[in-house]
Amino acid sequence: MKLFPTSERPRHSKNRTGYWFVLPYVIFFGTFVAYPLMFSFILLFHRWNIVTPMEWVGLKNFERLLRDPLFFKSIWNTIVFLFIHIPLQIVVALGFAVLLNSRLKFRGFFRAVYFMPVVVSGVVVTILWQQLYAYDSGLLNRLLVMMGIDRVPWLINPDVAMPSVALMATWKNVGIYIILFLVGLQNVPNELYESASLDGATAIRQFFRITLPMLNPTIVVVVVLSTIGGFSLFIEPYVLTGGGPMQSTLSAVLYIYNQAFYFGHMGYAATLGFVFALIILCVVLLQRKVIESESTS
Amino acid sequence: MKTFLKYLVLGVGAIIFAYPFLWMIASSLKPESQIGGLGLYSPDFTLHNYTQVFTRIPIGRAFVNSLFVSFTTTFSVLVFGSMVGYALARLQFAGKSVIYAVVIFTMTLPFQLTLIPQYILMVKLGITDTYMALIAPTLMTAFSIVLFRQFFLQIPQALIDAARIDGCSDTRILFQLVWPLSRPVLITVSILTFMTSWNEVLWPLIVVRDRALMTLPQLVTLFTIGGEAESLLGLELAAATLLALPVILAYAFFQRYFIESMASTGIKG
Amino acid sequence: MHSHRLILNALILFSTLALAGCSDRHEPEQRASDKIVELTYWPAPNPQEVQLADTLVREWNLLHPGIHVSMQPIPVSQSTEEVLLAAIAGKTTPDICSNIQPAALYEYSRAGGIIPFDTFPDFDSVARGRTPLDLLEPFRSPDGHYYQIPWKTNPVMMFYNVRMFEEVGIWRAPRTYSEFFAAAKKLTRDLNGDGQIDIWAGERDIRPIWWQRLFDFFPFYVGASTGKTLFKGGVPDFNDDAAVEVFRFFQECYQKNYFPHTYFQGGDPFLLEKKATHFAGPWEIATLRSLAPQVRFDVALLPVPDNHKGPVYTYGDYKNISIFGTSKHPREAWEFVKFLLQPRNDLMLLKITDQIPVRGDLLKNPLFAEYFKRNPKMVRFAEQALYTRSIDSGPDLKEILDAISQEYEACAVYGRITPSDAVTDAMKRTTMIVEWNK
Repeated sequence: MKLFPTSERPRHSKNRTGYWFVLPYVIFFGTFVAYPLMFSFILLFHRWNIVTPMEWVGLKNFERLLRDPLFFKSIWNTIVFLFIHIPLQIVVALGFAVLLNSRLKFRGFFRAVYFMPVVVSGVVVTILWQQLYAYDSGLLNRLLVMMGIDRVPWLINPDVAMPSVALMATWKNVGIYIILFLVGLQNVPNELYESASLDGATAIRQFFRITLPMLNPTIVVVVVLSTIGGFSLFIEPYVLTGGGPMQSTLSAVLYIYNQAFYFGHMGYAATLGFVFALIILCVVLLQRKVIESESTS
Repeated sequence: MKTFLKYLVLGVGAIIFAYPFLWMIASSLKPESQIGGLGLYSPDFTLHNYTQVFTRIPIGRAFVNSLFVSFTTTFSVLVFGSMVGYALARLQFAGKSVIYAVVIFTMTLPFQLTLIPQYILMVKLGITDTYMALIAPTLMTAFSIVLFRQFFLQIPQALIDAARIDGCSDTRILFQLVWPLSRPVLITVSILTFMTSWNEVLWPLIVVRDRALMTLPQLVTLFTIGGEAESLLGLELAAATLLALPVILAYAFFQRYFIESMASTGIKG
Repeated sequence: MHSHRLILNALILFSTLALAGCSDRHEPEQRASDKIVELTYWPAPNPQEVQLADTLVREWNLLHPGIHVSMQPIPVSQSTEEVLLAAIAGKTTPDICSNIQPAALYEYSRAGGIIPFDTFPDFDSVARGRTPLDLLEPFRSPDGHYYQIPWKTNPVMMFYNVRMFEEVGIWRAPRTYSEFFAAAKKLTRDLNGDGQIDIWAGERDIRPIWWQRLFDFFPFYVGASTGKTLFKGGVPDFNDDAAVEVFRFFQECYQKNYFPHTYFQGGDPFLLEKKATHFAGPWEIATLRSLAPQVRFDVALLPVPDNHKGPVYTYGDYKNISIFGTSKHPREAWEFVKFLLQPRNDLMLLKITDQIPVRGDLLKNPLFAEYFKRNPKMVRFAEQALYTRSIDSGPDLKEILDAISQEYEACAVYGRITPSDAVTDAMKRTTMIVEWNK
């Protein structure tokens, strides 16, 4: 149908333009992703403080990792964090989302307020919560004392510190998940509820029978993103506790940071990063499988 | 009764999420001795904490640094990201599927894996303590490419064909025809990139030691934990407020865009 | 001073003239100026030591026209170890450095490039003439060579607030753990009856910061074990009763509430007279003199276990001298080092920096008598200096002290593990770190 020159020439130029357009990305990928990735494999087998020459150590970094109590401690801390953070996040987000999904005045206002901590820098949130959590003079303990309750050692008790971090992280992030659940709720077809009402199902029954299963994809997202977030915790313990007390808030990234920039062990830090990355990938894949299979069963 | 309860819960929620910020701003204006109080008002409001912050640390300079870094990053991500997204969505070339696979692969890489080697790359390139080190690793992001590609796939082929027949180059088609049609995705990518860049702390902490080049969140972090604030709450809260204020102001005006953009990370993820 | 310098100048003028006269006859004049040897010397960057180095280098250059030393303080921005390691890697080390931390020497010599002093024939007589063998021997590396020569040390001792002790009727500083606890029980007081303790017997930063252990665990361990350190022949060697005793001591300090469990805000509590004892080195005298002249204090040995016998050792923060392998003129560098170690220059070191030269004859040599007469408190430190140990030289000392810090936190501050578990765990992690470094 088309004339010879117009049909032939664009295809030719298309070919070239495609390459020109992706060329910057290819260079970028080669320099800032592929090269570091390859270099990380070299680092895994070396001891190196950057200043003096690299030393080949074979599998010693991995041997050390398996004997390193702090490596396991940081994983345990992440588990504690996730164990509190994920359920809390789902319950709070779902609760507010259900309320916001009903007929409501000021919905936009509430939504905007709940979302505010999400946009503000983690540094701000952490500095702010450091004051809220202070043992003697913190806002939260003053409130508790006013209500006749004992002070909580938020950040100074090794058993309480990580849950406190998880609570703060929930406060910061829950806004996103409120929105996600809200979107999910609005996608549930109304006919489902209507037919259920005809069958005489109570509102609570409807919630567990219809709403929850329909929100399953959103729950997957919450779980996966929270897990990645848990393994990426850095600024919160860095500012709030420095990883203490008794290493109870030492996170994976904080430990990598300490090994690399406090003790100067680039090779070992890269090994930690490598193993943590593997763990994250496995956990996330596993979570998807489990939650998705649960929804089909 | 039921509606009352609903509004009560929502209202308490609003207080829980908003009051700490109000308290922070109010306390940053109070003299040190009054900061412990639960209330917001004080008859002795003063800018003392702010003048102290400005004299103790180069926070103005850090603000400019952060603006420069975030704008440059955002600009670069928009231009290069849309180019790759366009190529992947609308152009035919050998190896296209490979490039797309590479983008997806990059997206799933946990940053813990490349953090240390990326730092070493900066050392080897000799660019630690430069703006380059702050900007380079985020010049392009896989996520923005995916967003652009998805959006560009929905643009009618007829429009592009028409422009081609008129003899437009693909560069012109992308920036003069497709861009104006892509406001939503441009806004989403801009907000996401700008916010991520503005709030980033770990990377600046690693590659910048020179105070003149520090970003705002980095400087505020070091000010708080490094002892320069001498554990004075007023100073720490004032510094935190200065860091939060630009974002809160932007959020107040473009609230809807913020929510939609940032929620899209979850929907796509 | 002026006339002194005048004479020196005259001397130099005379000698150069004489030399010039000589060279006129035998070889061309050019060669003489060619033969001026250039040396670089890096002292510590603090103002007192820079002043000392400046004075000494000036004098040296006047006396030795053929060997010119230029002084360059180590940049303040980074730690000395970082700067030196970078310099070793880049082969830009100075000829001489007098701010060598013994703990870091292992890393320096592993990076290559420190000259053993014992290759100079007169090393033995010079070193032993100045420093007793007991203090010299710990600085011999496992390969039998001396890569460093001890220059000065800052023994950690117990400062105590005399007024507070007198107020509760104690007239002598506690010497053993039991005596310390007995005193602590009386010293720790709530003065105004508000339920908050106003005066603590002691206080330590509760955060697990590695170098804090140089002021509690390590000096106490050196004391309890009568001069042992963390390693023996490169192998961790602190799994013993002394270490357990020390952990138990600090655990009790926290358990009985003699030390506060919270981070102390608002400045140094010893200066503010909120704690009765303080473990520190001689620099604290100057700090007290300038910032808190009202504090009546004295200095005593660190407490030791009740059944302790023999002298009380403590940690000494040593700074040593080394000559780097990059030096083109090691012989001349050695001459300069010997100059630094001369008695009159040790006196200058004392006077300008208030730090203790590692000399055996400090309290016997009349040269120093006037200084100690004017600074009676420094006598305690001079006496103690003979019973000091440095931290060991080994890989990753910082991380090993960090491991000990974590056990200190868990065992002493929080009382969550027993002292013997604390020692076992610290040993385990130290062994892991050492083996990884092999």
